[in-house]
Amino acid sequence: MQVWRVFGALWQVPLLAVASVTAVLVLGRAGWLVVALSMALLVTLLVWYPGARFRRWRWWLSDLALLLERGVLVRQRSAVPYFRIQQIDVVQGPIDRLLGLATLQVTTASASGTVGLPGIANADAPTIRAELLWRAAQAVAAHPGELSDAV
Amino acid sequence: MPSDGPVDRRLHPASILLGIDLRQTIQALIFPLVAGFAAGGRAILVILAVFGAVALVGRTLAWQRFTFGFDGEVLRVEEGVLSRSHRALDVARVQQVEIDRGAVARLFGLAALRVETAGSSSEVEVELRVIPLADAEALRDELRRGKAQAVGGEGESDHEVGAPERQPVLEVPLRHVVVASVTGARLLVFPAIVGVGLQFVGETFWAPFADRAEDLIEGLVVGRTGLPGIGWQVVLLGIVATLVAAVVTAVVVGVLRDAGFRIERVGDDLNVTRGLLSSRSSVVPLRRVQKVEVHRNWLRRLLGFAAVRVHSAGGSGDADRRVTVPLLPERTIDELLAEVLPGVAGIPALTAHPPAALRRTMFRWLRQAVLIGASAIIAWRYAPFGVPDVVPWLAGALVPLFAVLAVVEYRQLGHGLTARVVAARTGALSVVTSLAPVVKVQAASTRANPLQRRLGLIIVVAHVAGPGGDVVIADTGTERGRWLLERLTEHAAEPVVPEVRPRMLVVGEPPSPGDDG
Repeated sequence: MQVWRVFGALWQVPLLAVASVTAVLVLGRAGWLVVALSMALLVTLLVWYPGARFRRWRWWLSDLALLLERGVLVRQRSAVPYFRIQQIDVVQGPIDRLLGLATLQVTTASASGTVGLPGIANADAPTIRAELLWRAAQAVAAHPGELSDAV
Repeated sequence: MPSDGPVDRRLHPASILLGIDLRQTIQALIFPLVAGFAAGGRAILVILAVFGAVALVGRTLAWQRFTFGFDGEVLRVEEGVLSRSHRALDVARVQQVEIDRGAVARLFGLAALRVETAGSSSEVEVELRVIPLADAEALRDELRRGKAQAVGGEGESDHEVGAPERQPVLEVPLRHVVVASVTGARLLVFPAIVGVGLQFVGETFWAPFADRAEDLIEGLVVGRTGLPGIGWQVVLLGIVATLVAAVVTAVVVGVLRDAGFRIERVGDDLNVTRGLLSSRSSVVPLRRVQKVEVHRNWLRRLLGFAAVRVHSAGGSGDADRRVTVPLLPERTIDELLAEVLPGVAGIPALTAHPPAALRRTMFRWLRQAVLIGASAIIAWRYAPFGVPDVVPWLAGALVPLFAVLAVVEYRQLGHGLTARVVAARTGALSVVTSLAPVVKVQAASTRANPLQRRLGLIIVVAHVAGPGGDVVIADTGTERGRWLLERLTEHAAEPVVPEVRPRMLVVGEPPSPGDDG
């Protein structure tokens, strides 16, 4: 959640700053309204949005699949059956590393079906990955012969 | 992995010339050529000669160092002059095999063999360019046999290890190819361009053009001056000529590409052959079909035709290499689908979407109309060049037109899910029905933005491998969407692969766990 806040700030602040400056330059007096609005927007985005996003972000393991639910405005649900998992990466950005977090990236054969599990504690990442891989192996083993080929 | 087989076969020596990659050559040539032009006439010849010599030596070495071999299970390729690469390709992983014959290669009885596996890289996995046609066909058949054995060895379908019989599935007659090119998407854009062009010419350049034409004619034939119709006739003639040229080009291109289009069932594979001068023959294993799309634009709908595109998970999404049936009568679609998607009788009964979805399509179309209208009005008011007064009115006329299109799109919206296949239909002018076998669904997801949530709508996506893209069920009811997500997840987690039966056998739908729809 901290990561999101920092990351959000990284691109939102310059964007809104540019918007404000151009607004002042172009619109003169009325431009200050835009500045005020963008400040308000910035505060919302910084204070409220990451928290809301964090509260709405959840994932869990069912019998068949890895399930995800996320999104504040656009709500998304995804299901990645263990049987279809092709690859699991542990990804860490610089801020992730600072905070001791990692993202698990679960890849299927479909280019668009990849999902990420962000904000997992460093110590847990290998365990969760092993768990997912074990379940994937179990699922593949349950389908004999030709069936075990997911693509 | 079995022990290493021999890797001692070579490409045909002609590949020294025919294997040249045109794009690379041009890229490599551009800089020396520009430099040569700058340096003067003689330098160009020298540079070309040096380049040619170097290229010839390089190609010869490359040919000498390119070897391949197939031991019945693994296709091995070793290549590279300076950096060597060794590749081994398990035959069970093959997605698609193609024999491609350019016009020159055909003259000399040669062919290029292309093997694709699943993977998102846009490069073809193995390309043997060029080998004698007989070798290419032999190797293709060997690959097929190897695959049949690899699959059969694991407990199924060992009934055809010998020479598999060929059964014709579909032939597209030449006149259908012609109709396909005339009604193709490329040409449908054309009337629009001509319309806009007509508008533009008529309103902006009309006056000066007419003046000039009149002047010209005045100078040529005295006595016929001031005839106001001449300019119009010239413009009209130009437009008709362009149209005719476009139609002729489209037909020629279409016929060259798709003449003799034929699909055959060979064992468990689909064999697709097409092309007039440069021919192409692709083999798509039925088990590798990821997605099938039925395309019907408005013109083809009027005539009762459709185009069908078959996607495997082969790496390259190159439009030229996809298997597309250019045109077939609508009543035969189900027959073809039954052939391409094992265990599927045809397009399943599609469920219509809730009326709220109409508000979404209407919103999207009207948003576009408003955007176009707004930009038209802005251009009309502020543009430095004269925009004719009729433009804003035309933009305004788009609103009712787009509203009608929104209703059409809503009418076309539909989806279906059976134990075998998931299907979705979208589009207003060009209606596309996408079908994916549920055993090929890799993952599933839903999403809904605030507006959709208020309307109780949801988008369901069945993620499919390969460059063909996903099956997207747009704007179905929330409850239904959740239900679809659950079913799709179950299907993806517990695949029941339908047996690929010999042809003409009606395959019933066996009970599958968790299916109640």
